[in-house]
Amino acid sequence: MTDPSPRPSLPDAPTRRTTLRAAGGGAALLGLGLAGCRSAVSDSKSAGAGGTSDAPRRGGTLDIAINADFTPALLFTQTGQSLQNRLVFNTLTRYDDSLRPQPELATSWTYAKDGRSITLRLRDDVTYHDGRKFTADDVVFAVRNLQNPLRAAQLRATALAVSGFEKRGDHELVLKLKHPVANLFDLFEFMIITDPDSVEQAVTGKKLNGTGPFKLAKWSPGTGLSLTRNADYWQPGRPYLDRVELRVVAQAEALLSSLRTGQSQLSYDVPGKTLASLTSDGTLRTKEYAVGGGAAYLGVNTTVKPLDDPTVRHALAWAVDRERLVKQTLGGYGFASAAPWPKSSPAYTEANRTHYTYDPGKARELLKSAGHSRLDLPLLHVNTPGETANAESVQYDLKQIGVHTTLEPTDPAVSQKKLISQGMPALWVQGHGFAQVQPSTLAVSAYPFNEAKNTSKYRSEEYTAIVRKAWTGTGLSGSASRALYQEISDVLLDAAFVIDLAVRGRVETASTKLHGVTINKFAYLNLDNAYLASGS
Amino acid sequence: MTRYLLKRLPSALLVLALASFVVFSILRLIPGDPASSLAGPDASAETVAAIRARLGLDEPLFTQYAHWVGDLVRGDLGPSYAIGGDTASLIGDGLAATAQLTLGALVLVVLIGGALGIAGATARRGWVRGAVRAVTTGALAVPPYVTGVLLVLVFAVALGVLPPGGHASFLDAPDLAVQYLLLPALCLALPSAAVLGRYLKDGIEHALAEDYVRTAKAAGVAPRRLLWRHAVPNALPPVVTLLGMQTGHLLGGAVLVEAIFAWPGLGRLAEQGLTRRDYPVVQDLLLLLVAVFVVVQLLTDLVYAWLDPRIRWE
Repeated sequence: MTDPSPRPSLPDAPTRRTTLRAAGGGAALLGLGLAGCRSAVSDSKSAGAGGTSDAPRRGGTLDIAINADFTPALLFTQTGQSLQNRLVFNTLTRYDDSLRPQPELATSWTYAKDGRSITLRLRDDVTYHDGRKFTADDVVFAVRNLQNPLRAAQLRATALAVSGFEKRGDHELVLKLKHPVANLFDLFEFMIITDPDSVEQAVTGKKLNGTGPFKLAKWSPGTGLSLTRNADYWQPGRPYLDRVELRVVAQAEALLSSLRTGQSQLSYDVPGKTLASLTSDGTLRTKEYAVGGGAAYLGVNTTVKPLDDPTVRHALAWAVDRERLVKQTLGGYGFASAAPWPKSSPAYTEANRTHYTYDPGKARELLKSAGHSRLDLPLLHVNTPGETANAESVQYDLKQIGVHTTLEPTDPAVSQKKLISQGMPALWVQGHGFAQVQPSTLAVSAYPFNEAKNTSKYRSEEYTAIVRKAWTGTGLSGSASRALYQEISDVLLDAAFVIDLAVRGRVETASTKLHGVTINKFAYLNLDNAYLASGS
Repeated sequence: MTRYLLKRLPSALLVLALASFVVFSILRLIPGDPASSLAGPDASAETVAAIRARLGLDEPLFTQYAHWVGDLVRGDLGPSYAIGGDTASLIGDGLAATAQLTLGALVLVVLIGGALGIAGATARRGWVRGAVRAVTTGALAVPPYVTGVLLVLVFAVALGVLPPGGHASFLDAPDLAVQYLLLPALCLALPSAAVLGRYLKDGIEHALAEDYVRTAKAAGVAPRRLLWRHAVPNALPPVVTLLGMQTGHLLGGAVLVEAIFAWPGLGRLAEQGLTRRDYPVVQDLLLLLVAVFVVVQLLTDLVYAWLDPRIRWE
């Protein structure tokens, strides 16, 4: 087809030489302009330069990519982003891999024989970032602070078990308990020690005054946190790093690019499905922690018929192909499990993990025995890509046994409100935490499992009795505590009001130059011994 | 003029008052509330109630509305519920970042669109015109979230010359700020540059077909002078109008681009505020947008009245 209108007469277009000159001039100008500047890229890439071996090295800036900003109002609540807690603050103790408490600000401790008090001896060489000395009063405040419902601390029930304080000088403190508490060291791992005078400024993000290895230099909402080295940190010679930047990179592709290009050297927010492609070039490594990531589960509202029948709930539990879910939606990170416990938990057993496996035939039989061949139920999920994939996977499996679900994608705020106000529909797919510490914590601190009031509206005297026994039982022998934990697992598996699908690990993606990083059981980042090396 | 302004002012204030009521009501109608968001996924009813009381959400809606409007009138935007910090600082910082991104994109729209338009209209070789057509079609057809990822892959991952995302303040580090700005501004600018390029190309072609150009050419006016002194200036007025309209598009498109490039602008702030049901942030932000619109309308009316005295006396 030809153009019907003749082209207008044209002036001479710029010649090739003119065009090349203009392009060259522009490029030179841009090059000269940028040559005189720092590079945002090389600044990031050279963050770890300077050393030649794996030996610890002082200095450098660590850039951490986070997908959600620090939320000051949730400083005392475990959220998906609690990395800064152990950078700016300290805890009283920290667990090792076997859940044995190790000293932090508390150097030693002694339980009373009746389990109704504990004596803590505290470090006497610790100062806050503003120079004030750390004393037993700060621990008293920290416990009382978590007792305040405004702080929304998941371990509030444990904090409330502390009924009194007896100071013995500035660095020894007796906590008096209403009853023996089995998960007191969960509280000590969870509870950050903050400055009482500035706590109200802390929960608005204006000032974070702690005793941790890094001081808050700046918090820019939406951009992230800038931290600088605390030269007066109580651990001599630590930390090695000069600065830590937590940068918000909310979009998954941008976060991947940030790691690939070396703009960030550490992240805990890379989706499992993309990890393989990220680590293939050898500049990044991954490490899986059995903490914080929690577990994916199928929640059941036990007041919705016919889900009030345990046989129907068992059918659902047998219907889900957990192995496929782990492989396809979690990228192979985590493991299929019918029980909530990670492998590091004292309640973990292989028999519990495989109590329900993928057996659609058995599921159909159970459903039939309960008098149903087809069910139509709503299935709520948070409208994020990961949770949507989990829900779709569950939807497919349930359909194979005749349970037809209608997905209800919901935004996080609405989902959270429904979760804690018992407003969930018949089924929902979510994640839960708190199985990574003492097993009793799960039933007193994680709302879906709470024995007194939970999302599933499940109540059982047996469950309550076992949970109370596990929570208030201290000094039990190894076999006695294991038997008690098994009782909790038995009730959870039999009642099936929370049908666990997979235990997710918290996956650390880091530059191979970065060493000495660890996180605690509540995913607080510990960089005391972290350093950036080059040539490794 | 003062009398005219006084006549127009009440209706502007009425629009603002109505808008404040609508904004306040709509947010309360959205399911979910700030207290539940702040309480976390394992909170007890006691915790939620305590947070509701602290935020004043247990008060009657009219009282909450009156408090909000009263604070606004006093110029106190108050603290953010969920994001943290002061609402005024959050909006101020977001506004500065979005303005930075939009202005950067606007400059690129003019440069790229101008180059494409002039090249498309004046190139004598068919392949150049074809290339311009292909580039403008591509820039219009590919959505920003694809363009953004492609730009990151090429300039940040493959070439490693620009950062894949982030932000630096022009006041603190102008050299880094430019580098952080380039990719998101380019991503935002490309569709508008394509539109501008096409308009400019048509405008120049139209101008070049006019009799006066033929006459000038016959009179020996140099082709370059013909282009820059006659054709381009005559093609510009509709393009400038279009550029004004595209600025609105750029502001809207910035929301998506901010998410791709981790740019802490108003779009990100609005998304964060809505997700967490941070009422003060979202209310103030929406009302600010309405206020800007109302002020622009008022200014337009005043300009019309200044230009045409009859309007003042109607």
